[in-house]
Amino acid sequence: MSTTYMESNRTDGTWDVTTRVIVYAAIGAALYGVLAFFSFVIPGTANVSVRPAFALVTFFGFAFGPIVGFFTGFVGNAIADQISGWGLLTSWNWSLANGFAGLLAGLFGVWLARTIPNRLLLAAVAAALAVVIGFLFVFTDIWLGTADDVSVAFTANYLPVITTNLIAAVILTPILVAAWDPLRDSMGR
Amino acid sequence: MNIAPRYLGRGSWLSRRDPRLLLVSLALFVFTVIQVWDLRILAGLVIIAALYYRSAGIPFRAVRIQWAYVLFFVSFVVIVNTLLTGGELRGLAEDELHIYFRLPLIGTPISAESVTYAIVQYLRFLSMAAVGLPIAYAIAPGDIGPAFARLGVPYKFAYGMELTFRFVPSLAGDLQTTIDAQRVRGYEWEKRGRTPIGKLTRTIPMVTPVTINAIVGAEDTIDAMDLRGFGTQPRTWLRQLAFDRTDRVVLAGFVLLLAVVTVLSFTGRTELWIPDLLVELAG
Repeated sequence: MSTTYMESNRTDGTWDVTTRVIVYAAIGAALYGVLAFFSFVIPGTANVSVRPAFALVTFFGFAFGPIVGFFTGFVGNAIADQISGWGLLTSWNWSLANGFAGLLAGLFGVWLARTIPNRLLLAAVAAALAVVIGFLFVFTDIWLGTADDVSVAFTANYLPVITTNLIAAVILTPILVAAWDPLRDSMGR
Repeated sequence: MNIAPRYLGRGSWLSRRDPRLLLVSLALFVFTVIQVWDLRILAGLVIIAALYYRSAGIPFRAVRIQWAYVLFFVSFVVIVNTLLTGGELRGLAEDELHIYFRLPLIGTPISAESVTYAIVQYLRFLSMAAVGLPIAYAIAPGDIGPAFARLGVPYKFAYGMELTFRFVPSLAGDLQTTIDAQRVRGYEWEKRGRTPIGKLTRTIPMVTPVTINAIVGAEDTIDAMDLRGFGTQPRTWLRQLAFDRTDRVVLAGFVLLLAVVTVLSFTGRTELWIPDLLVELAG
């Protein structure tokens, strides 16, 4: 029996760009942009707006794959910046860092699945690793001139953002996974 | 909560340009500005950014909150950089600085160099924001997908970008409905905790239902797109984009600007320049 394109378009491959991937990515990015309104600034930090909605990046990466995670983080952060007035590309390296965190959440979710059988724990660990590694990209602020040296980039940018994003991702990602998994099973996804 | 894209620049000179021009111009301008620390060159870039922004015809009253946010954020960046660098700016050692006074407690020197550095940071970010803001307000919402597609973004992701912009208003509406529903139940999310965890947990009753509802509701969109054969072959767009002569001239101008500044940067002529007036003030 031959497989139609529509059927092959619904495969669950990690890197397949299906209709489902595009729509979930768009939903994730739009949600991140909208829910970024729940944000607060940590005193003593530079260029760091703490967004509880950041957990959406790791959740969408973990639940729907690295492509969705990257799009949610990259486009979602850019749109949130644009809506706030900061500008779509003014902090493009931060948008990329968000994207990398989403991408890595998806990859760690797959790579660690056998090591950590408990799915909620897996979500928390994947999210934490994704944040710590993905946001290393904000050190490009040194090259862009937003941070004057490594100590400023570490103290004022990297450390505050991973601390607050870790809190958001480690707490919220498993909660969202716990809410989504039963629905996914009942929908047969 | 109304965060629907507002086409505030409708009819302006910039809104009549090909939308790709606004996207490419911003990228070129950002890469130009980040190379510049010389206040004299930066002043020229600020004038260009101001003229560009003015051509978008965006009423200030409609975007004053966005500008207030930008000013607040830039101030934050500048102050923290000034405080944390301890006076060591752009490779300058402390004995090279023209110091006015030292901040109490932390002892950070405030010098002609640090003041210039702060001004430069302000101007860099403000000029980038001025060139970036028209993307939100001077591109017709329906042109976003075709613009990204014609810039070489794979059509599926270009359509994803368009979908994202279309989802924003409806999801904002859903969020407002959820906030209202929780409020009716006596839940006030504004009464946030003092700690980051407290603040975070107060948002869970909003974030979770809005997210899960959006994902479940996405099934209709997925089915509709599949039924219309999305992904079976490259998509075409009803809106045709074409650069006219003015677009080409503007684009050439931004390319030239980047080229000139890159050459100046490689020859060391974009480094931090301290005005004599500020040096003299140090006595």
